[in-house]
Amino acid sequence: MRVVIFSWEYPPRIVGKLASYVKELTWQLAKTGIETFLVTYHEYLTGEFENGGVKVYRVTNPVKTHISVLTWVLTLNQEVERVAANIYYKSGKRIDLIDVQDWHFIPAAVTLKKAFDISFVYSVESLEDHRSHGANSPFNMAIKSIEWLGTYEADAVVVKSNWMANEVIRAYKVPEAKVKIVNLETNHWLESILKVYRELKGGCCGYG
Amino acid sequence: MASQLRVMMLTWEFPPRIIGGISPHVYYLSKNLAKEGVKVYVVTCDFPGAPDHEVIDGVEVFRIDSYKNPSPDFASWVYLMNMNMQKEAAAIVKNLGGVDIFHAHDWLVANAGIGLKHVFRRPLLVTIHSTEIGRRNGLHSDYERMIHETEAWLTYEAWRVICCSNYMVSHVKWAFNLPEDKLVMIPNGVDAREYEKSTVDLNQFRRRFALPEEKIVLYVGRLVYEKGIQVLINAIPKILEKVNAKFVIVGNGYMKEPLWEKIKHMGLAHKVLFTGFVDDETLRNLQKCADVSVVPSLFEPFGIVALEAMAAKSPVVVSDTGGLSEIVEHDLTGVKVYPDNPESLAWGVTRVLLDEAYANKLRENAYRLVVEKYNWKKISRQTKSVYERVLSEYSRTFWA
Repeated sequence: MRVVIFSWEYPPRIVGKLASYVKELTWQLAKTGIETFLVTYHEYLTGEFENGGVKVYRVTNPVKTHISVLTWVLTLNQEVERVAANIYYKSGKRIDLIDVQDWHFIPAAVTLKKAFDISFVYSVESLEDHRSHGANSPFNMAIKSIEWLGTYEADAVVVKSNWMANEVIRAYKVPEAKVKIVNLETNHWLESILKVYRELKGGCCGYG
Repeated sequence: MASQLRVMMLTWEFPPRIIGGISPHVYYLSKNLAKEGVKVYVVTCDFPGAPDHEVIDGVEVFRIDSYKNPSPDFASWVYLMNMNMQKEAAAIVKNLGGVDIFHAHDWLVANAGIGLKHVFRRPLLVTIHSTEIGRRNGLHSDYERMIHETEAWLTYEAWRVICCSNYMVSHVKWAFNLPEDKLVMIPNGVDAREYEKSTVDLNQFRRRFALPEEKIVLYVGRLVYEKGIQVLINAIPKILEKVNAKFVIVGNGYMKEPLWEKIKHMGLAHKVLFTGFVDDETLRNLQKCADVSVVPSLFEPFGIVALEAMAAKSPVVVSDTGGLSEIVEHDLTGVKVYPDNPESLAWGVTRVLLDEAYANKLRENAYRLVVEKYNWKKISRQTKSVYERVLSEYSRTFWA
């Protein structure tokens, strides 16, 4: 199975706790024999690296001056697409699925799905409704609309607690069957994720 | 490559959505490319009442959801709209089984164009109609720098950069540090036949705007500083010393109120008429009635309004700047005057208004120029040959 993970943080770039989780996830996936690619951001450490059996691609933002994290994210997505497309074409036009961590690279995942029929998982770390509680400025609404797009277009929405499952269903009216809970406190968390991946891969593409 | 060349145009405006000059440009270019045997798909923003998918004059048009939540600012909206445009265009390309070339118009579709290029591994062309650094006469904030860098990114990713005048070629080359061989000049065009359609009695029509004994001096454009409308207003007293005229000002902009106050203060309210926006037919008839059309711009990438006046057989007086310098040959197809100089402008206008034989000579020469050089058939053929050249270069790369 060939999986591409999108995350805006990965060591040495650490913004919150997502970085260490993504590192753990990708390394564990590689160990189980899954061909694992990670596309992430770094201001200047760009290029292709092999890290714990994971093929790591770091891109930078082609537009350096920005007025908000929203515009910053929206011009970075094309670089994520470029690298993901390179992976796709170089590996015989096959990516089994994309797992997009949080909202930043949802636009890229959606475009790649439309272009190549690649299923994707939207893994929710946090929601705009919690980060900026009660805020409904056009800026917050834009981020929410991207999160909504993620829940709408994703083939599965992975959350890390029962509470978050309910929150995602409340905030974005996601069908319950689409929401998968992966509890990181348990020792079978990796198996839960693999189960989600296998179901999607079988469901969408039909090979192996 | 399929036997028929397939191009996907990306544009934020296409009729009936008309905000500026890109909409008619893409419309005429696409329509005439279709006549030259190119299969054109236009992907553009939606518009109330316009269908999501239709065929107009042989051009297949797709209108996408243009992100209609309130946006923090214009640039953020542009990026959000591009997110939608890109995903919808990706689905369209997939359904079509591919296209040969993506052709983007200005930074307003930069993200969508760049993303589609990499996802489908097809060449991207861009037409740069205007630049942020030119519009603002410099970069004064992070907002303006962000747009400038987005334009730079787009020209960097493009296989070729098309500009509508030699002036814009050198401006864009300077603004984004581009290599010479990446730039192509293809002029903008005007469809002279559009001016023959109306059946209105022009003598009757003219009375809505001016007294029979008044000459009509016409200005068409946004009422903003870089278009130089204030230069024309300052020239009015000098013109009226020599000839009786009515100054008809078409268009809107932030300078309208202050200019109107100034005109009243000058005691000229009875000599100036602000029409605001007018429909296409009224505009064309006005241009046909105009005894002289004035384009007093301070910054002008191309100057399409001068070409329109020429197609309407109205003599033109333009400031000697930007694209206007290239369109008009002094004393042959129009009169050139010093930019930002009311005396020079008054001299040019009175020269045309007081010498009918001279004015008629300018009309004839200018009309011939428009029909021969700035016709869409020729422009679309030039554009098609750029597509073919790019595709032949592309066929030798590892993407092909």
